[in-house]
Amino acid sequence: MKYKALIGIEMHCQITETNTKAFSSAKNSYTIIPNENVRPVDMAFPGTLPVVNKEAVKKSLMASMILNCKQPDYIYFERKNYYYPDLPKGFQITQETKPAPVGICGYLDYYVNDEIKRVRINNIHLEEDSASLDHKNNASTIDYNRAGVPLLELVTYPDFRSAEEAVSFLETMRCIYQYAGISEGDSKKGQIRCDVNVSIMDEDIDETKEENWGTKIEIKNVNSFSAVKDAINYEIQRQIELKETGTYDEMEQQTRRWDDEKQETVYMRSKVDAIDYKYFIEPNIPKFKIKQEWLDEIRGLIPELPNERKEKYISKYELNKKDAETLVKEKNISDFFERCIELGCEAKEASNWITTRLLGYLNKNDLNINDIYMTPEMLTEICLIVKNGKISTQQAKEVFAYVLEERKTPQEIIKEKGFEQNSNEEEIIELVNKILEENEQAVNDYKNGKTNIIGYLVGQVLKASKGKFNPGLTAKILNEEIRKR
Amino acid sequence: MKYLEKSITEIHEALLNKTVTSEQLIKESLEKSHEIQKKYNAFVTILDNAKPTEVTNELISGIPFGVKDNYSTKNVLSTGSSNTLKDYIPFFTATSIDNLFKKGAVMVNKTVLDEFGMGGTGTTGHTGIVKNPWNPLHMCAGSSAGSACAVATGVYPYATGSDTGDSIRKPAAYCGIVGYKPTYGMISRYGLFPFASSLDHCGVLTRNVEDAAIVVNTMKGKDKNDMTSWDSSGVDLTKTLKNDVTGLKLAYIKELCDIKKYKNADATLKEHLENFQRTLKICKELGMEVEEVSVDEKLLNSIASTYVVISCAEATSNMSNLTGIIFGPREEGKNYVEMIKNYRTKNFSPLIKRRFIIGSYVLQKENKDRYFFNAQRIRRLLVDEWKKIFESFDAVILPVGTGPAPLLEGSKDQIDNSTKALEEHLQVGNFGGFPSITIPNGFINNLPVGVNITGNCYEDEKVLNIAYQLESKMNYKNQIAKENN
Amino acid sequence: MSKFTKEMVEDYADKLLIGLTEEESQMVLNEFDVIDQSIDVINQIPNIDLVEPMSFCLDDLEVDLREDEIEESISIEELLQNCDETSDREVEVIKVVG
Repeated sequence: MKYKALIGIEMHCQITETNTKAFSSAKNSYTIIPNENVRPVDMAFPGTLPVVNKEAVKKSLMASMILNCKQPDYIYFERKNYYYPDLPKGFQITQETKPAPVGICGYLDYYVNDEIKRVRINNIHLEEDSASLDHKNNASTIDYNRAGVPLLELVTYPDFRSAEEAVSFLETMRCIYQYAGISEGDSKKGQIRCDVNVSIMDEDIDETKEENWGTKIEIKNVNSFSAVKDAINYEIQRQIELKETGTYDEMEQQTRRWDDEKQETVYMRSKVDAIDYKYFIEPNIPKFKIKQEWLDEIRGLIPELPNERKEKYISKYELNKKDAETLVKEKNISDFFERCIELGCEAKEASNWITTRLLGYLNKNDLNINDIYMTPEMLTEICLIVKNGKISTQQAKEVFAYVLEERKTPQEIIKEKGFEQNSNEEEIIELVNKILEENEQAVNDYKNGKTNIIGYLVGQVLKASKGKFNPGLTAKILNEEIRKR
Repeated sequence: MKYLEKSITEIHEALLNKTVTSEQLIKESLEKSHEIQKKYNAFVTILDNAKPTEVTNELISGIPFGVKDNYSTKNVLSTGSSNTLKDYIPFFTATSIDNLFKKGAVMVNKTVLDEFGMGGTGTTGHTGIVKNPWNPLHMCAGSSAGSACAVATGVYPYATGSDTGDSIRKPAAYCGIVGYKPTYGMISRYGLFPFASSLDHCGVLTRNVEDAAIVVNTMKGKDKNDMTSWDSSGVDLTKTLKNDVTGLKLAYIKELCDIKKYKNADATLKEHLENFQRTLKICKELGMEVEEVSVDEKLLNSIASTYVVISCAEATSNMSNLTGIIFGPREEGKNYVEMIKNYRTKNFSPLIKRRFIIGSYVLQKENKDRYFFNAQRIRRLLVDEWKKIFESFDAVILPVGTGPAPLLEGSKDQIDNSTKALEEHLQVGNFGGFPSITIPNGFINNLPVGVNITGNCYEDEKVLNIAYQLESKMNYKNQIAKENN
Repeated sequence: MSKFTKEMVEDYADKLLIGLTEEESQMVLNEFDVIDQSIDVINQIPNIDLVEPMSFCLDDLEVDLREDEIEESISIEELLQNCDETSDREVEVIKVVG
């Protein structure tokens, strides 16, 4: 390839794990009932004032630390002024880079396949979400539940060279937000939204010098990771074509948007028409001193992050790398796994169940692990019952499936479906002798020294018992009975 | 009987002694309201169904009062004297007004202001101009015009005001009464329709200093809905009123008070400044030291522009919520832009529109440093200059304006090059959040004039103490406006 | 010759979603000139650019942030009582495109 791409990301992620909104004490929670979580300031009634949520600031500072950013001595907020029907105040409370957002000058190491990469973080800041608009035939309706929900925006330098790198970073970040208890990170609920900027330059030019960079094209409102990938690839290709046809130099710096249906980027406006947001410091929020003790306290609260868990799974639980990676990818899954171990399940057992059957089930049915009936307690119980020989591994798989489908506990399923293993010696002796009589030839072979025929005979007995006999006990009894003959 | 022309403590005594009832006071106040409305147009709403309250040990219980119409009052029309909110009925009451209600105060009317407090003439409210009760050919000044007029005419002992530049303290002077705005944040601004948040103060208009202390004592307090409010629970403004002022030091600024500084001084200005000197003499007789200090004229001449730039910038943003979408009379339009534009064009007065444009201009990226940031820098220099004076003095004493109320005819509320620092110096009290009180100190051409005392932040008690003692040596305490011509 | 033009004023007005009459925009122009002159005075103050802009009255105010406790939502009737066009529980506006 003759060209290389420079890609930067602006990632907006809702802080979902606070009780209240960023500047209002309305409940911060997704609901389908319109205007259910609204305090006066969320609809900008005259005379209302913003009041900063301590927990939202705390979580923002934590994100800032995880991204290796520098935290400010004082926190200020600023107004970004523009008119849109989803913005009740006519401005958004946010943080510009001056005087200081919650974090600047950071970086994050992330993996693309097996390779470690570093992206520099320009800044991360706390702001508020807008209301949501619903478009009908001739009208739009406004729901203010989302208005004021805390939003973290992080801005990277254009350090990504491919869509794959950008998406890997986004996945890593989503994972971090989940692990740190900052956000659920659900793009389906619109909790993550991205703007992407793309420029290309000749392969052999030094990209560390900013003056060599190509014309930056910003793509707004890319709202899923697959769209991020598609938009970047589309835009790179579009720009390459302009280069190839000799019209690249005519392209002005511009903002485009991603059209998900047509799978293309569409021109929105030129840099010249950029909106002047007339930022100024929000006078209703006094500057707030960030004390070192508070920062220390927050640092101490940063939980184990995915990479640390992965290392632990490999070294402590002796899982293979692939399984470890699969488990840590979603915090809910990883938490499920760790809970199983706490309850006494063997790590490898738990990992096998989760990475194969459980994830298979979730993916097939497009479900979240929190939405299913199976709990770590139930899975652990199944493992322990197998270990105690009460049911066979084969039966366990069936119990597992029934628990999910019929929403009943393993004990209930075992009882109802008659999965209990049969260890009644009299019954086993009776069936063993019946089988031995039916297989006269095999008994003779055994007597002639072909002792490995035992396995075949045990299999026949178990089959006849429809899998209900305890295999160990059956083998023992069969050995005893055959010698009597 | 005219109880309502008395002071709060006198009315309270009468209520306790049952020589008058709350019901009678309200009836009297409402009758007077209608009379004053006909003569001077002071009210947006008169609450004819106002209900008496129980008389308790609270000084203000059972006593009627007026509320400036830029305070949000639950289930009572609150317009900000603007057509944009001509039909707005809030579902919540401003914290400071609620504090008065809790102590049994009875709201009997909502008073006219310059639209959203942006103006100093009392002529730009959507219900028409307010006339001066001493001479209806003259203005009340603004923006708390209706409140000043009503208190001066004895409708009730007090009305709330708000003060962004001098909007309590100037109309008080022009109407011959007391106007007090305490230190920024002593009274919560929650529920006050904002003009310029970093300069807006709540306050009160009364006919004597003690009443001002009593009312603010009740209005004040830290409010969880206003981050800029602070805890003043340990402060009782009435307690130190009568302290001896011997030895306290007052400063006045030579560049503002020296008649020789004004080349084309007319007879009125001369008389005003001479009258001021007589007031200084009374201060000395009270045992206070009075000294002349000097302030850089360049700074003094920048006060008006600094104020215009900062207040217009904040105002244009603060009033961006006025779109007619959630409240206010909805306008038609082909799209949302047209709809909002029609609403704003139709309902804002020309003055406000002009100020928005100035505010928007000074915040534009390319202008921000030269205008907005420089104004904020001058703000700091001026505040530092005043604070330097407060290091050696207990308060600054200065004449209010350049004389008594101007004629309504021919008055203009435009930013005028010839505006003198003397006319606008009270704005420094808003720049620094200083406690500041105006009391009447004489008459010129049968119209009242005032003197202002301003102290350092949090030194409200000292300012009130000085004002109380000075008031007691002059003949204007509890005066009721009467037309002399 | 003023550096402020009528077109400029109209453009600002447009961005603020307000319309101005001929007379109003002329008044704004005059006011701009007055402000500009006094800003010139400000710019003559030595080392003005070294002064930190002042955004708050009480620069030294120490505040607490709000504890993360939910307050009850306002009833839908109250939220919409001043709204001229609603649809069920929502505010309605003319269709927003783009």
